[in-house]
Amino acid sequence: MATLSRTNGTATEIREPKRLNVARIITWIVVGFMVFITLFPFYWVLRTALTDPDFGTLFAHASDLLPTNATLFNFERVLGMIDPSTIVGQESANLSAGTINFWVYLRNSFIVAGLVTFGQTLFSSMAAYAFARFKFPLRDQIFFVYLTGLMIPGIVLFIPNFVLIKQLGLIGTFAGIVAPGFLMSPFAIFFMRQFFISLNKDLEEAAMLDGATAFGVFWRIAIPLMRGPLLTLGLLTFIGAWNEYLWPFLVGRDESVRVLTVALNVFKSQTPQGAPDWAGLMAGTTVSIVPTILLFIFFGRRVVDSIQFSGFK
Amino acid sequence: MAAIKLPASSQPGQSGLIGRLANNQVLLGYLFILPSMIGFIVFFALPAIRSVIISFHEWNLLTDAEFVGLANYQDIFSDDRFWRSLQITVTYVMWNIPVQTVLAVVIAVFLERISNSSLLRGIMILPWLMPNVIVAMLFVWLLDPTLGLVNIFLQNIGIGKQAFFGDPNQAIASVAGVNIWRHMGYNAILIYAGLKTIPRSLYEAATVDGANLWEQFWGITLPLLRPVLVFVLVTSVIGSFQIFDTIAVATEGGPAGATRTIIVYIYEQVFERRINMGVATAASVVLFAILITVTIIQTRYLRAGQSDLADYQ
Amino acid sequence: MKRRFSVLLFVLVALLALAVSVSAQDSVTIRYQLWDTSQLPPYQQCADAFQAANPGITIAIEQLSWDDYWTGISTGFISGTAPDVFTNHLAKYPEFVALEQLVDIQPLVERDGVPTDIYYPGLADLWVKDGQRYGLPKDWDTVALVYNKAMVEAAGIDPASLNELTWNLEDGGTFMQTIAALTIDANGNNALSPDFDKSNVVQYGYIPDGMGGAYGQTQWSAYTASLGWTFNEGPWATSYNYDDQRFIDTIQWWADLALEYGYSPAFSDITSLGAGSLFQAGQGAMTQNGSWMIGYFLSSEFEVGFARLPAGPEGRKSMFNGLADSIWVGTQHLEESWAWVKFLASAECQNFVGASGVVFPAIPEAAAMSQQMRADAGVDVSAFVDQANEEGGTFLFPIADYAGEISTIMNEAMDAISLGQAKAADILPAANAEINDLF
Repeated sequence: MATLSRTNGTATEIREPKRLNVARIITWIVVGFMVFITLFPFYWVLRTALTDPDFGTLFAHASDLLPTNATLFNFERVLGMIDPSTIVGQESANLSAGTINFWVYLRNSFIVAGLVTFGQTLFSSMAAYAFARFKFPLRDQIFFVYLTGLMIPGIVLFIPNFVLIKQLGLIGTFAGIVAPGFLMSPFAIFFMRQFFISLNKDLEEAAMLDGATAFGVFWRIAIPLMRGPLLTLGLLTFIGAWNEYLWPFLVGRDESVRVLTVALNVFKSQTPQGAPDWAGLMAGTTVSIVPTILLFIFFGRRVVDSIQFSGFK
Repeated sequence: MAAIKLPASSQPGQSGLIGRLANNQVLLGYLFILPSMIGFIVFFALPAIRSVIISFHEWNLLTDAEFVGLANYQDIFSDDRFWRSLQITVTYVMWNIPVQTVLAVVIAVFLERISNSSLLRGIMILPWLMPNVIVAMLFVWLLDPTLGLVNIFLQNIGIGKQAFFGDPNQAIASVAGVNIWRHMGYNAILIYAGLKTIPRSLYEAATVDGANLWEQFWGITLPLLRPVLVFVLVTSVIGSFQIFDTIAVATEGGPAGATRTIIVYIYEQVFERRINMGVATAASVVLFAILITVTIIQTRYLRAGQSDLADYQ
Repeated sequence: MKRRFSVLLFVLVALLALAVSVSAQDSVTIRYQLWDTSQLPPYQQCADAFQAANPGITIAIEQLSWDDYWTGISTGFISGTAPDVFTNHLAKYPEFVALEQLVDIQPLVERDGVPTDIYYPGLADLWVKDGQRYGLPKDWDTVALVYNKAMVEAAGIDPASLNELTWNLEDGGTFMQTIAALTIDANGNNALSPDFDKSNVVQYGYIPDGMGGAYGQTQWSAYTASLGWTFNEGPWATSYNYDDQRFIDTIQWWADLALEYGYSPAFSDITSLGAGSLFQAGQGAMTQNGSWMIGYFLSSEFEVGFARLPAGPEGRKSMFNGLADSIWVGTQHLEESWAWVKFLASAECQNFVGASGVVFPAIPEAAAMSQQMRADAGVDVSAFVDQANEEGGTFLFPIADYAGEISTIMNEAMDAISLGQAKAADILPAANAEINDLF
């Protein structure tokens, strides 16, 4: 730094890129490391999914970097291409004999995550907009009370909610699985409100002066401007709903509404001190996160690229 | 925010179209929050109020409840395990939040200011796509002292084997590490969305004024990021206090109770014991009070409802 | 914007249509739950046979993993959605009795003249409290040693001699000598050698299946029982003996296998993936486990054998645990549920289970089929069966209230002992006092 202070303007112009290069190299090394840390466990999921599922093999070759006796057998099990009752014998005692109706569960996961995303995003955005834009009595108090919804331990909520869903006769229906998240989530409202607050009001006010209705302003001006955050929220909600486990496990265990995460249960530990069917579980995990990864590849670019606010600046 | 450059439209008492719109705000506000209000009352508020009532009873949800006044609260306050669980929870939050948030901001700034690669963004969010129960199982496998790849690697480079989940001194930090892995990319994407709302022109102006990247970060990025950062901090602190899934899978509260966080304590009261709903709800009420306090402090201190962006426009 | 809105609407309508198209059908269906997938095929055979004989009843078998199983049962009780019939465990059922969730089937047993003496002695009585009966036995398990044949032979030990091991508190008996001979350090010295380096062991003599918590079913219970120690004074007792000197000394010995002697891996290394996986990874020569794990161990890459437990001063003792099928009080179809439970407990169904070899059914003839099925495959499982058949060879799983609370207290104490944080003599008396205060 001392040398820098002695140099004149022209010298700095020459030095600047060089200093930046060093910084850049360090940054990229750090980023490379982070990417490795992020991706390696995924590789391990895949590697285990492709490994011979027998525990003998799995544990005796625990540190092999490549799949041991590589096989697609686990994926065939997950996709229901193998009748599980045929694989039960003494040589495969650790293999799950549960059936996986993969395509039904996939469809169910899409229905549940889709409905939750639609309802929650729409109704939460409306509420968030009201909290950010309209003035009405008790506004901030209501908002804060909503926020407290985040602070109630889930375990306290799900038992009464479960009993309610039962009383409504919705156990084993999509409506029952979707209900608690369909109308709102404190998270979604909080999220959208923070973005609406940052949004410049000029366009909305102009539209109001032109005689647009409040809902029109919300729907035609504010929502399009919030495309980016909305897509982000929608994606996050979808993935959150997709990965939900305990609630759909309790409410939607029936075959007809069972979602993928619940179906993976057949690969978990069968006995008190037992180990899960690792290879099957990892194959199931791989298959179940593929749709969300595809979704992210498809929408991800648009999510982040559309948060440019080109509309109002 | 209200003081700055608000056109007449939001000031009550004006005549004509503007005044009518302003008066409508009350009605509109309530209309916009109506759906979310129904969801909140049914699935959050009522069960929560019921929980408070249950906390004054001895009840297993199956046989008749018995009113016991404050006995459940006396029980937990005189239970060493409860106090220890609070202490463990706070330790967890102290490991989890600072590391996770700093990493998320670093990644977000990197993604926005330096790389802008949608592939990198996609990679960073990947861990969050995996259901957290599966993440926990995967890390049990990777971090196993004898068969886990991480430990085989640590032994090869001479650091020696670490018990991670099996060592009472490492277990809570290991759980924090796993959750940092899963959530840092997710938080980075949220922060990234916030960064995108900062007008490019501000950076351009600052560059013209001779501010370097570091100064720009402290002078522009961080202050303008505040609404989103508050959001990320408030929600992740609340979530962090309620850590459960990872522990349920990886350590079940052990070893020697070293990972019995408050939610694990509550869970044990319901499912490991004879459905002690009264004690469980009393502990939940205490946790709720703690979270409210923490959140109020956070939002007051960080001025959640305001954006500095308005100052720049 | 209009177009986008209609797209959204279309998606929503499509999703709702999908949701509606999946409708449930109603019929007299008995829901039956179990946790072990490997038992699913034989029980499906039972269900098929039952349905053929009872055309009016459909059996819907639901399988859930161990942890989720009990969460599901509890929430099912609360919300009124528990299965009609379910596989019950001795550690759980006292709590369900206290919560008044199980049907007393004694009147039905008497009405239909169902024999309860066709099972292994004692199994049916485990499910009786104050003359009320809460389940009919389906299977049983005992504990035995499991060894890696190649490792045992490499140490010059005849695998057959493992059936004759002895154990005591003073010097550990031939059991301690054997596992010492099987423990080998990086220099090739075994633990009997004065040069043995316990900080650098490459092959452990014995991998304990963890610390065992409150029951030590597959762990220390065989040793404490062989000293004549008992958990309590029999079923439904209201005090425990965890402060007995014999118990304290045995637990300290158990922890010292790793802490002091180095014959076993550190307990913190065992807990996460379990002793079975370490054994299968070739980390140790011997371990010990229950008969329901036979198939698991047979999937090892190397040859595995089963040997009798070491004999202590009071003989050779294994915990004898048994599962039963119980009926939930909330069932809408008590008679049909009872018919199914009766069938599950009958020789016809238990023969299906026996033929599959996965567990030992409660009826001795069916258990013999299971043993024969293994023998036909060249595997000798007599270590488990002989233990069950031997006079005084077994003791029962302790049945008492507050199993969850007791587990919480004992798990913590046992963890602390295994980690070397506390001595058994210092914390077990306090833990026992806390447990006895529960009642």
